[in-house]
Amino acid sequence: MGGKVTCTLGEVKQRADFIIYWGGNPAECHPRHFTKYTIMQKSKFLPRGRKDRTMVLVDIRETKSAKAADIFLQVRPGKDFELITILRALIKDQPVRDEDIAETGLDRAAVEDLVRRMKGAKFGCMFFGMGLSMTRGKHMNSAALLTLAAEMNAFTKFVAMPMRGHGNVTGADVIMRWQTGYPFGISFNRGYPRYNPGEFSTVDVLVRGDCDAAFIIGADPGATMPQPAIDHLARIPTIVLDPHITHTSRLARVHITTAPQGISAPGTAYRMDELPMPLSPALKSPYPTDEEVVRRINEAIAKKPFWLPDGGPSPHQWTSQVNL
Amino acid sequence: MPVTLRLKRPPIVPLEAEFLSPDVLATLSHAEISAMIVHHGKRRLPLSEFFDVEGERSEDLVLHGELHKLRWVGRGMRRGSITVHGTIGMHLGAYMRGGRIDVHGNAGDWIGAEMKDGTIRIRGNAGGQIGAAYRGAMSGMRNGLIMIDGSAGLEVGMRMRRGTIVVGGPTRDFTGLQMKGGTILLRSGAEIRTGAWMQRGTIISLKPLQMMPTFTYSTTTTPGFLPLLSRHLAPHGITLPTGPYQLYRGDRAVPGKGEILVLA
Repeated sequence: MGGKVTCTLGEVKQRADFIIYWGGNPAECHPRHFTKYTIMQKSKFLPRGRKDRTMVLVDIRETKSAKAADIFLQVRPGKDFELITILRALIKDQPVRDEDIAETGLDRAAVEDLVRRMKGAKFGCMFFGMGLSMTRGKHMNSAALLTLAAEMNAFTKFVAMPMRGHGNVTGADVIMRWQTGYPFGISFNRGYPRYNPGEFSTVDVLVRGDCDAAFIIGADPGATMPQPAIDHLARIPTIVLDPHITHTSRLARVHITTAPQGISAPGTAYRMDELPMPLSPALKSPYPTDEEVVRRINEAIAKKPFWLPDGGPSPHQWTSQVNL
Repeated sequence: MPVTLRLKRPPIVPLEAEFLSPDVLATLSHAEISAMIVHHGKRRLPLSEFFDVEGERSEDLVLHGELHKLRWVGRGMRRGSITVHGTIGMHLGAYMRGGRIDVHGNAGDWIGAEMKDGTIRIRGNAGGQIGAAYRGAMSGMRNGLIMIDGSAGLEVGMRMRRGTIVVGGPTRDFTGLQMKGGTILLRSGAEIRTGAWMQRGTIISLKPLQMMPTFTYSTTTTPGFLPLLSRHLAPHGITLPTGPYQLYRGDRAVPGKGEILVLA
């Protein structure tokens, strides 16, 4: 695998003359994306804006984003990994049979045209959404696209970027990576960070019943996770910090209402290209911020060290490691 | 007399006990084994909190109970044997360099991950990432033999470099992902994306497989190495048809020189 070859959205806006959206529907899910960062923008290097850019949409159905695309490629459901693997072979001039390409729902002419355009671009960018990363194959689908982007750099400049959503999810990844060296799927139970997605990632821990308490900040696993995970959340003491009453709040033992970030609470959110954006509150809120609640919980634990058994890490160690 | 551990209190959260390895137990007295520290979640507790301990100073370890939350047993072991009567959790025999592990039950994920030598046999089903490389590591198992009588999960043999994996039941997706060498024998086939991004190595399937589009049919043949592999597996009661087999080569996306043999 080639790692993640990426850039900022500013660079995409200035330079990207070839943009692929794979398994995403930005017209409906990221409505300002086209106009602010990608196809509609005029720039120093692309002065004619939309006319200087080519947009390709790869998806299993014709969404509203297809209307904005120059080329729409309708891939058969569950064949994204196969199509990306075919593209990896074709860019290296390796032979692939027509009937194998047809299995993906596309014909040879369309796939070879895509390869030609990708190689001919000056600056290519691939955005991928949950249609790729959350279907069968999951992390390997994302890894395939990131690898394709890395390999395309043998021919021209190419980058890849996930289309993030749900508030500050990029921020969680960035902060964990900065603090521990790992973006997610981390365990601190031995007093130092260990990384193993599948073993320590939240959904797997909950499905296997590997935790005896849950502390949830700004997320709603009760609405998004599989039923065994939700059942386990209902069994164990679950504490939720959220500005709203969520599905998770209804099955939690404790819900603490907090001030909404960016509206009533200051802080830093990370854009999908991992750029930090300071947030200034516009309104006052009667509720405490997430940060304040976590700090007060930490202080309360620090006053009662007898809660911890002999040999366990001290609350001060937790604070220094997690530093929320 | 082997060191025998019987589960008396099931752990609520994962129990990590990497010292449960014949190399370590061979020099310890009964009292020392009972006092060894295990990690129950973040809490450090003596082994005797969870197990009744019998025996001392032995290179043979026997475990009894539903141990699906017990992890890292036999980590890095070099000699001796571990026998499990019941289920066992993740990372069994990870990094092992020798010896033998026999599980009379089901096992979790990452069995024999990055092992360098030795033999592991699971009489039931196993999870994913058997003999695989840990996230970020370049190579999975480098030698040794893993036998799963039942089914196995995702990414069996991911990035393995050498050694043999035999799976009796079906495996799930991405079997032999990014394989660099070694042999995987699938007696009941696999789901999809078998051999994806293979560089080298051999996958033998006795049932038809759904091939990746970047594999190419080469020929129908009876490979000369199969009698050798049969002799290697015969002491474990595993037989292998001599063929003929359809030979597919790939993965062209890498481009790799791996081979998938499917019994014709």
